Order: sequence, then structure tokens, then C-alpha cells
Amino acid sequence: MTRPSDIKPREGDQPAALYKDWVVGAKFPPLPFTITPDVVDEYISVVDADRANYVIDGRQAAPPNVVLVYMMAVMYRLYPPQQGGIMIGNTIEFHNPIWADEETEVIGSGQVTEKFEKKGRKYICYDVEFKRPDGTLLVSCNHTSAFPE
Amino acid sequence: MTQETLRRTIPQTQKMFDDYGVLNGDNDIIHYDDQFAKDRGFRGTLGHGLMYTGYVCDLAAKRYGTDWHYRGRLTVKYVRGVCPGDDLEVRIEGDGTVACQSQFDTTLVGSAKLA
Repeated sequence: MTRPSDIKPREGDQPAALYKDWVVGAKFPPLPFTITPDVVDEYISVVDADRANYVIDGRQAAPPNVVLVYMMAVMYRLYPPQQGGIMIGNTIEFHNPIWADEETEVIGSGQVTEKFEKKGRKYICYDVEFKRPDGTLLVSCNHTSAFPE
Repeated sequence: MTQETLRRTIPQTQKMFDDYGVLNGDNDIIHYDDQFAKDRGFRGTLGHGLMYTGYVCDLAAKRYGTDWHYRGRLTVKYVRGVCPGDDLEVRIEGDGTVACQSQFDTTLVGSAKLA
């Protein structure tokens, strides 16, 4: 079982990466973790999801977006977080189910795709992919956040 | 597949922000420190963008069923903050347009479709 809090650097715990530190093209080190039924249950609770919406051929799947609670951990391991970050947008694609009744080993990886300043705000864009160890793509994301410094 | 608008309203509380943060390990004080958030120009602490994304995904999963797990594609922009006390309506239109709206403003816009 891997709780996101087990692998995600916490804001304020270490010196934060600043806008100047981000390098477009920099790759995030692969992050292995395991999604367990307990994590799926907790996720369903905190996003107030309806389990009935995730049944595939009679089998209970997880909301595939459960991996999103690990997304920022992938990035933060290379660029420790700063306080006051604001999420701007996401594009997320789902490729294969994550089952609610089994442990799912996942490897998160990604890279910085863009950085820019606009109207005094500093924007960072990055891609993250979540795959099974055999290479099966589960979910891919392109994310944009703005940071104060 | 239904083409009618699906919607639900989810009242927002600080406890919901806290509980989501316990799971995802988010310690950004903009979600927890009311004064810090107000000093940055917001009405109060901000909910987690990915929590609202989860609300939207739930309606999309209801609409698209099994296909959502294999070729769902969601694009969202967070245009305004959501604070404790907000009554957040989440909806998906027949054409896949999605939005979240509180009593104060539209907070999220985007689309949820099949690739």
C-alpha cells in the first residue's frame, strides 16, 4: 500500500524549487507506488463518487482518476513544492481500468513541457504518465500550475 | 447513452478540503489557512482542484460507462476558487461540456468526451 502522503514531499518541509529552477524537458524520476483497495475506498469517499458508475462487466473498477492523488508527487520529487501554488488546468486521458478489488502496481513518470510568465504569474506545465510495470498505459495527464515565486 | 444534462450540487466544507488533503498529502496552506488565502485575494481557503476534477469525472463515468475507462478524455480549467460554504453545482451537458458553478461564480470549465 502506498499512500500519496508516503511519497509526496510536503510543502514547507524542504527548500522549494522556484520558477527559475524549472527546466523545460527535464524528466521526473520514475515513481513506483501501489494503489490498494483501501486507497480506492478513501478516494471514493473524498470525491463523493458513486461506485455504481464504475462497474465494468460486473466487476467493480476504481474511478480511474484515483491516480491523480499521486500526480503531483511525481513532479515534486524533482522540484520540491512551494506554498501558494494554484492549479490552473489539466488534460487527462484514461486508457485502461484500475480495479477496486486488487492491488495495482503503478509507475509514474513525466517531464516538464513548458514554462512561461503572464500577467505577473509564473506558470509551469508538465506531463505525467501512469503505467503498470508491464508498460500498460493507465492514465496520461498534462498539467498546468501557477506559483508565486 | 443519455444526452440529457447530468448535474449534482455538493456543498463545500473545510472538512472536505482537509480529508482530501489527508489522502493526497497536500500541505499547501492555501487549502487550510484562511488568513493566508485571504491575504492572497481569495474569499477563504481554496478547495483542491483535483477534488473538483473527481466530481466531474464521476458524472462523466456515469454518462460514458465502460468507455470512460478506455478512452475518456477530460480537459478542465480552474477559473475561480471554491471556498467553504460554497454550494457547488457540477454538471455535464449532452455535448460533453462540463462546468462547476458556485453561488458566486463559475469555478471550472472544460469538456469530458470520448477520444
